[in-house]
Amino acid sequence: MRYRANAPQVMAETIGGETIIVNLATGHYFNLQGSGVEIWEGIAQGESVPAVVARLEALYDAPAGEIEASATQLVDDLLDEELIVAGDANGSAEPVTPAPQPGRARRPFARPSLAKFTDMQDIILLDPVHEVDTRGWPHAPASA
Amino acid sequence: MAGRMLPRAPEGGSATPHAAAAPAPQAPASLRRWVEGIEGTFDLAAGVGLATRRLRLAGEVVQLRAAGPAMLEQLWPAFAHLEDASGAEPALTVNLWDSESSGVAHPPLPRTDANEPRGAVYYAAEPPLQVAYQPGHSLMSAFDAESASAWFWCASAANLPFWEPAAPIRQIMHWWLTDRGLMLLHGAAVGTPAGGVLLVGRGGSGKSTCALASLASDLLFAGDDYVAARPAPDPWVYSLYSSGKLEPDHARLLPHLPRPRFHGDEAADEKSVFYVQDRFPGHTCEGFALRAVLVPRVAGAKPRVLPLEPGGAFRALAPSTLLQLHPARPEAMAEMARLLQSVPTFAFEVGGDIYEIPKAIERLLNELPT
Repeated sequence: MRYRANAPQVMAETIGGETIIVNLATGHYFNLQGSGVEIWEGIAQGESVPAVVARLEALYDAPAGEIEASATQLVDDLLDEELIVAGDANGSAEPVTPAPQPGRARRPFARPSLAKFTDMQDIILLDPVHEVDTRGWPHAPASA
Repeated sequence: MAGRMLPRAPEGGSATPHAAAAPAPQAPASLRRWVEGIEGTFDLAAGVGLATRRLRLAGEVVQLRAAGPAMLEQLWPAFAHLEDASGAEPALTVNLWDSESSGVAHPPLPRTDANEPRGAVYYAAEPPLQVAYQPGHSLMSAFDAESASAWFWCASAANLPFWEPAAPIRQIMHWWLTDRGLMLLHGAAVGTPAGGVLLVGRGGSGKSTCALASLASDLLFAGDDYVAARPAPDPWVYSLYSSGKLEPDHARLLPHLPRPRFHGDEAADEKSVFYVQDRFPGHTCEGFALRAVLVPRVAGAKPRVLPLEPGGAFRALAPSTLLQLHPARPEAMAEMARLLQSVPTFAFEVGGDIYEIPKAIERLLNELPT
C-alpha cells in the first residue's frame, strides 16, 4: 500500500531535523522528529510502508518487529488526522531503498510520535474558507 | 477545504444603496465577468469624487483610490507612515469604496449560506484574478494581477470590524506580495537601519507587547502583527502597517502609547488599536535587513534570549501565517523555512519589566555578527 500527502489541504516542511505538517482544513498542525521524519518523507514521496520499514531497519537497531509496528502505527495516525491519503499504486516505481553502508553502526531506534497542536484551530472554525470550483464564481444553476 | 458551488448572484451596480431585490439576475459565466461587475460598481461609486493616497511598500508605489473620503479616513492611518510623494508610477492601484457613504449598492454578491460562521470566506481564483468575499462582515476583495488593479468594498466604512483599519486590505496585500515574490508574514518587527528582528508566535505570545514596548527606545517599528518579507538568501522585512493592537487591559501597561483610535471591547474579544505614527512618526520605518527571529514567551523575571532550533521558530511562524492567508501557496512553507535557516533563531523570555524588552533586543542586535 502506498500513500501520499493529502495536498493541497496538507502542507509540510522539514527544517532542522523536525517536520512540521499543517492541515489547512482543520487548523491543526503537527510535528515529527527522528525516525518520524524519515517515515513521513518516505510515505510522502510514495514509498510503500514495507519499503520504508526496510530502509529504517537498515539504519536503526531495534528489536524484531518494532520498526514495522512503529511505522504502521504512525501511518494509522497520519491517516486518522487526514494528513495522508491512499496513493496511486500504479504510479511511479518504488523508490530504491539504500543499502546499509558497510561498517557503519546502526543508530538506536526511538519510536516516532506525532505531536498535535490545536491552538490555531479557531482560525479555521471562525473563518472557514470555501473554495469554489472551476466553473466560475458564482455559478448559475442550470434552472436559473 | 470543501469545494462549494455558489448559485446565482443578484445583479449589482444599481444606484440604490443596498438594493434588496435585483430583477432578473444574470449570473456571470466567469470570474472575469464577475470582476468586471465589481469594477463597474466602483466606477459608479466614484461619481461622488475620488480621493487618492500613495504609499511606498517594499520599494514599490501603491496607489489607494477611494470613492469619497470615508474609506481613506478608516484605512489610511495604518499606511500613513509609508506615504510616498515621488510621483512614480504605481505598481498596484487599489480601488476602495463603501455602499453607505457612496450611495451605490453593493457589487455583485454570491448567494451564501446564512448558517456559516460570521468570518466565513468565499474564495475563487481564475488566473490572473482572485476574489474573496466575507458575507458576515460585508467585505469583498478582488485582485487582477495582469492589470495590477485591486478592489476592496465594504457595506459601511463607519462600521468596519476593528481589525480592518488596523491591517487594511490584508488579503489584497497577500495576493499582490505573492505575485511579486514576497511574503506576508504573521509577525512583528523592530530594529535599526542596520537590521532588525522578526518576532513570531501565535496571538497572545507577546509579539505586540515587544513591538510596542520598543517605542520607548531607539528601535524602529516595522509592524506588530503583519509584515512583508523578502525571502532568503538576502532576507528583508518591509513594514506594512503602523498600527498596534493590544488587549485593552495590556494597553494600560504601556502608558507611552498614543490614545487608541479604537477602544476594544474585551467582552466582544476586541483589541484596542493604536497608530504608532500618531505619536512616534520618527520611530516608524519602511523596513530593514532581517538579522534574527525571536519567539517571545511571557516568562522569567528579566528578558532572556536563548538559542532555539529553527524548527521551533518555524512552528511559531508557519501555521499561523498559512492559516490566516488564502490561498496558502505550496511553496510558502519552504520559503519560510529557508528564511528561518538564513538567520539565527532564538526563544525570547520577555521578563517582568516591559521597558527592559527593547534593551534586550538592542543588546542582541549589537552582539549579532554583521
